[in-house]
Amino acid sequence: MSRDTDTELVNQWRKEPAPLLPLLHAFQNRDSYLTENALRCVSDALKIPLAELFGTVTFYHHFSREENGQSKPRVCDGPVCRFRGTENLLDALNAKPMPCAGRCDSPVPVLQGNEVLIGSDANSLKPLPSPLPPPNPGGIEECVFAHIREEGRATIEGYQKTGGYAALKKALCDFPENLVALISESKLAGRGGAGFPTGKKWEMVAQAEGNPKTIVCNADEGEPGCFKDRTLLDYDPHATLEGMILAAYATGATRGFIYLRYEYPDTMRILERAIAEAKDTGLLGQNIGGKAGFDFEIYIRRGAGAYICGEEGSLLNSLEGKHPFPRNRPPFPVTHGFEDLPTVVNNVETFSAAPPIVKHGADWYQSLGLGEHVGTKAVSLSGDIQRPGNYEVPFGLPLKTLLHDWAGGPPSGQSIQAVSMAGLSGGFLGGSDLDEVTLDEPSIRSKGAFLGAAGIMVFDDRRNMVDVAHNAMAFFAEESCGKCFPCRIGTHRLTERLNGSGGPATESEWHTEVDDIGDTMMATSACGLGMAAPNITRSLQKYFPEQVAAHLQSVSR
Amino acid sequence: MSNPLSDMDKPDVFFCIGTNMTECHPVAATRIKQALQRGAKMIVADPRKIPLAGIAHLYLPLRVGSDVALLLGMAHVIARDGLADNEFIAERTKGADEFLEHLKPFTPEWAAEITGLNPADIEKAARMYGAADRGAIYYTLGITEHICGVDNVQSLCNLALMTGNLGREGTGINPMRGQNNIQGAGDSGAVPANYPGFQPVNDPANQEKFSKLYGREIDSEKGITKVTALNECGKSIHAMIINGENTLVSDPDRAHCQHSLESLDHLVLIDIFRTETAELADVVLPATAFGETDGVCVNTERRVQRLRQAVPPQGEARPDWWIVSQIAQRLGIPGFEYESAKDVFNEVCGLSPIYTGLDWDRIENAEYQWPVPEKDHPGTPILHEGEFKNGRGLFSLVKYRDPAEVVDEDYPVWLTTGRRLQAYHTRTQTGRSAGIDYLLSEESLEVHPSDVVKLQLTDGGFANLTSRRGTVKIRVRASDQSPPGTVFCSFSFNDVPVNILTGSGYDPITETAELKVCAVRVEPAED
Amino acid sequence: MNATAEAQTHTLILDDTEVSFHEGETIYEVAQRAGREVPTLCYDKRLEAFGACRLCVVQLEGARNPVASCTTPAEAGMVVHTSTEAIKKHRRTLLELVASENPEATINPLRGFASQELNELLCKNDVQPGRFQGQQSGTSNGDDNPFILRDYDHCISCYRCVRVCAEQEGDYAITMMNRGFETQITTEFNNRLKDSACTFCGQCVQTCPTGALGDRKAMRAESLPGELEKTRSVCPYCGVGCQVDLLSKEDRLVGIQPAMDGPANEGALCIKGQFAFDFVQHEDRLTKPLVRGDDGELHEVDWNIALDRAAEGFRKVLKKHGRHAVYGVASGRAPNEAAYTMQKFIRAGFGTNQIDNCSRA
Repeated sequence: MSRDTDTELVNQWRKEPAPLLPLLHAFQNRDSYLTENALRCVSDALKIPLAELFGTVTFYHHFSREENGQSKPRVCDGPVCRFRGTENLLDALNAKPMPCAGRCDSPVPVLQGNEVLIGSDANSLKPLPSPLPPPNPGGIEECVFAHIREEGRATIEGYQKTGGYAALKKALCDFPENLVALISESKLAGRGGAGFPTGKKWEMVAQAEGNPKTIVCNADEGEPGCFKDRTLLDYDPHATLEGMILAAYATGATRGFIYLRYEYPDTMRILERAIAEAKDTGLLGQNIGGKAGFDFEIYIRRGAGAYICGEEGSLLNSLEGKHPFPRNRPPFPVTHGFEDLPTVVNNVETFSAAPPIVKHGADWYQSLGLGEHVGTKAVSLSGDIQRPGNYEVPFGLPLKTLLHDWAGGPPSGQSIQAVSMAGLSGGFLGGSDLDEVTLDEPSIRSKGAFLGAAGIMVFDDRRNMVDVAHNAMAFFAEESCGKCFPCRIGTHRLTERLNGSGGPATESEWHTEVDDIGDTMMATSACGLGMAAPNITRSLQKYFPEQVAAHLQSVSR
Repeated sequence: MSNPLSDMDKPDVFFCIGTNMTECHPVAATRIKQALQRGAKMIVADPRKIPLAGIAHLYLPLRVGSDVALLLGMAHVIARDGLADNEFIAERTKGADEFLEHLKPFTPEWAAEITGLNPADIEKAARMYGAADRGAIYYTLGITEHICGVDNVQSLCNLALMTGNLGREGTGINPMRGQNNIQGAGDSGAVPANYPGFQPVNDPANQEKFSKLYGREIDSEKGITKVTALNECGKSIHAMIINGENTLVSDPDRAHCQHSLESLDHLVLIDIFRTETAELADVVLPATAFGETDGVCVNTERRVQRLRQAVPPQGEARPDWWIVSQIAQRLGIPGFEYESAKDVFNEVCGLSPIYTGLDWDRIENAEYQWPVPEKDHPGTPILHEGEFKNGRGLFSLVKYRDPAEVVDEDYPVWLTTGRRLQAYHTRTQTGRSAGIDYLLSEESLEVHPSDVVKLQLTDGGFANLTSRRGTVKIRVRASDQSPPGTVFCSFSFNDVPVNILTGSGYDPITETAELKVCAVRVEPAED
Repeated sequence: MNATAEAQTHTLILDDTEVSFHEGETIYEVAQRAGREVPTLCYDKRLEAFGACRLCVVQLEGARNPVASCTTPAEAGMVVHTSTEAIKKHRRTLLELVASENPEATINPLRGFASQELNELLCKNDVQPGRFQGQQSGTSNGDDNPFILRDYDHCISCYRCVRVCAEQEGDYAITMMNRGFETQITTEFNNRLKDSACTFCGQCVQTCPTGALGDRKAMRAESLPGELEKTRSVCPYCGVGCQVDLLSKEDRLVGIQPAMDGPANEGALCIKGQFAFDFVQHEDRLTKPLVRGDDGELHEVDWNIALDRAAEGFRKVLKKHGRHAVYGVASGRAPNEAAYTMQKFIRAGFGTNQIDNCSRA
């Protein structure tokens, strides 16, 4: 195999939009790490100061500055996998740990080069396609999963055969304003966690000054315990593409990016094929669907391992080749997004929901929720549960229905001690709250947690919750970008207080310190990471005071 | 400078020519870098790929000494393509018709032939500057230290006049002063043609005013320049008093310089160090240095600022004004009974129209840029606003001339000289400051890697550098900062006295030496 | 700010008082102007607001969380509280967190212009020392350069150095490596400053609020006796005319700091202005007048003898060769008074214009 020269790599990417990440990946794929020479070439080609580029490269987990760094195996040590063989794999493979890689429904993922292998010990490792959502267990009508289990849905023929791109055709017969109005009317809210009304967002971008406008699909699914976007993209990639194309039509955007997390290399290949198919069919490119003047391109940009890049400001900085710190807000991406121009940033699931809504109407989507609630939510359920996987639930479904009726409850002989909410960001629910809450923000927030991206990890009564909390906080500390003081120092101090390496030993002082740090982090952090991390300690203190007391006793001993 | 430093965030297009600003005026350069971050564009013309060139939108690596050709070529394109500001030309200038006619033969192709540039780049530069809403020219010694220094400056004026880039914010013709108070020295009348405040000596009114003030008849003819004076040493000049200049090392043609100073009957030197020049003096008087004395200095944007004493003078060092006054008093010259720097400065304010509104106390906070023609005047950050001092701006019909020396068979390489960031002038100050050697401990000759091979030199080895006036030995450093066929070094190191080599010619009007161009031979030398 | 924006004046309520502001101002700027003491560590008014330290948080009515006042634009009708009990407590906690990752040390002000900022805030805000104990961040760099100390044990990752190097100096020599608690301020490839794009202008040193970056040259004087004094003057090198503060201890000139309000430089200097001042008190300085003796050598004499001899020489030449034979060269490096007296010496003394300065060198 001939090696591409520096110049060939540079020329391949220099003129492309958002070129930094793909160019770095190209050099790393060639050399198996990022050499000094590679960084000098990239700095020169993209006019990024060398020091800044160096700093940015060191920010990402998966850019390696050590020889052969890329081929060194990386083993998921997420909250679920660590109970399912992480440690053995690390030893056996002489590997490095990596944060949750989004395979909690079929642990344990090992990333080697550009391949994901699955297994619980070194001998059983093999490539394995990601699991489909379990068959619709409640018999309740689904939105984004309605057709995902159908054979061949990932190809354009399969997609079109099952009604795909009909929504786009329908929308193109009407004015963009009416598309925006329909989405607004449906009350679709951002399904990545923040819950901002999607129609409102599209409307703001449509009305904002400045061109070209951009559609960004946030597929940087980095929240531990979340793997719904992976499933959506693996089995129904065209739904997301169609959603993005609809957004482009609604807003007048001409370029789109899918920011895909590094840990999903198989998904990358599936998306590349889907985009090529859509292009060939005239659904991307110029005069889309025969509509004169409707031009839109989609580019995949692969992340490089940084949880914070799921935060939209960081994501946009990362795309632009800048240091991926969150941005100060205001201004917001709807007016000052990618390259400071109006930009829609939505999650995979949000885009996937748009085509069915266009097809079936706003009333239909509203009616999918239970009671007062509107619509559905894909939930990634994993951990100590009989049938882990992605479930699309109507908002308002009781948590216990999902846990026990749909997913079979805890492993036999165990009982559920706690579940995490919003992956890890929402902290834990435990005790009687497990039986009381319904799956919607008002209910869950009333308990001090939040549903967010709806990763739910189940911890049965065998688990030491202080240890679980420590692992969670260590994750946040590891992923804190380091920009704002409360998060950078606070996540680290809380981690130390959970593993006993720092902090007072007396219970009351311990609680005071943890409360003070948590309060200030929640109130003053610059982005959601620092605001959410203390949910871990708060819920631990709330539901498991005896376990905290035992921890402090063991530390003082 | 016609415009203030704070104006440097306003231009749309910078045209930097003959200025290695990041090394010679680093703090001013930071303002350009900031402006570029905000979206301004920059054209850099310089024979060397200086750091500014690296951040320029258009870099023009012209041959040393070919500036006039480039500027004529640009003016040609501006006229040809209708980029001239006809309203400005009509209202504020004189001689435009002749000038536009004069430009006709100077096509970009003609200019390309002389400068070695690509004609398309010359056109592009002309269009960038010509189309700018606010175009600002910045230059330094790379423009003036030529036999055609005046022609160079006039060519820049022509460009600014024809595009209306004068007298407004973010425009102008802005030479950067190289020394902390070279502006103040001129303001104070230390020039052969002007009394303080640039009042011409040949104006009878001025002559009368100063003859009265100074209590004696003063010539109405201007004096000779320093360069001429050095040539006249031992002929018509027999005594000199030199303040704070290491003439021997900083002036061109060192052998000539030494001979001149040795021919004097009497040489008095006022300085802070016993320099090479001091060794030729009859009397050497120790002056106070920076931080040891109060005083006034004027920066490149004509801002009048106070110097203040922080520490006592070393030994018996005395302020320059005190030393000169003492000699004057001993010669019975009246009017030197000053008690302080304040007395002296206030006297200047009283007789200089550009300082009329100032006095020692008013400049406490450095708010004023001269001219300040009356009390309560706010100062003049931008010159030539509304109208030029002399009425209309006059176009000059400049023509290109070759440098005094061009490369030939015997001296086939261009040498150009300049400064480096870490060293100042002859290193009397930077060379005596701890740590500077860590970054720059010796001088070296910047040679393009292809020339290192061609001339059979060794990177890191030594070379003999020979001009018609002498030879110096210097370490070789391969660098693509200098183009093939041109080598560069600074004049800062006494052990590499480059000024032995330079001094091939002088501008006929200013008598500024052509330090930027000289033809040399470069040969390998033993360690 | 242009005239139209300036005309658009709005008001907001700041701590129960109505204050007016211009479009584009941040809450922090409005509060500053109104004389409120809002603490910050990552703020440098020359730099784009960054929002890292969060000390400047204020309570905004209607907002769930406090907002960073430095990055939040003021809006008409806002109701802002700069100093509620809750806000004060958050600030104290933030400062205690910052203090917890720094070694206990008072920093010598010789380290840099802003080096006292952290210490001053700790004192002012009733910070309990020793809270939140744990690991400390930052690894000091063994950089051997003689100008800039890189004592990252004291670094609080406010990024002022990174930003001043990029935004003000335009050198982009400094960067941040890694992330979170492992964040480390460094250069390209984590090397010495000498091997980076650094030009040793010293701006990073002077904006550092903890003295983690220190002026090594000034620090030589840490053990010298005497009070540290500052005297405003102007840099002696090029013509830009940067204002400086001369640092002195008793009779010693020990360092230079840029004047943050210097009109030409606004806090910037270059390597020469910042670090090349030792010449002033160098042993090579001329300290006594010298005259050439009959032996052809220069000899130290007292002022009277030297001045007499200087005058005598001119008198002789005047007599022998006439008044045009005397020539004066003023300096572009000395103050106006030197140049003025020199030209007056020639004009009033000899009635000629035989005077020039060294601008043609």
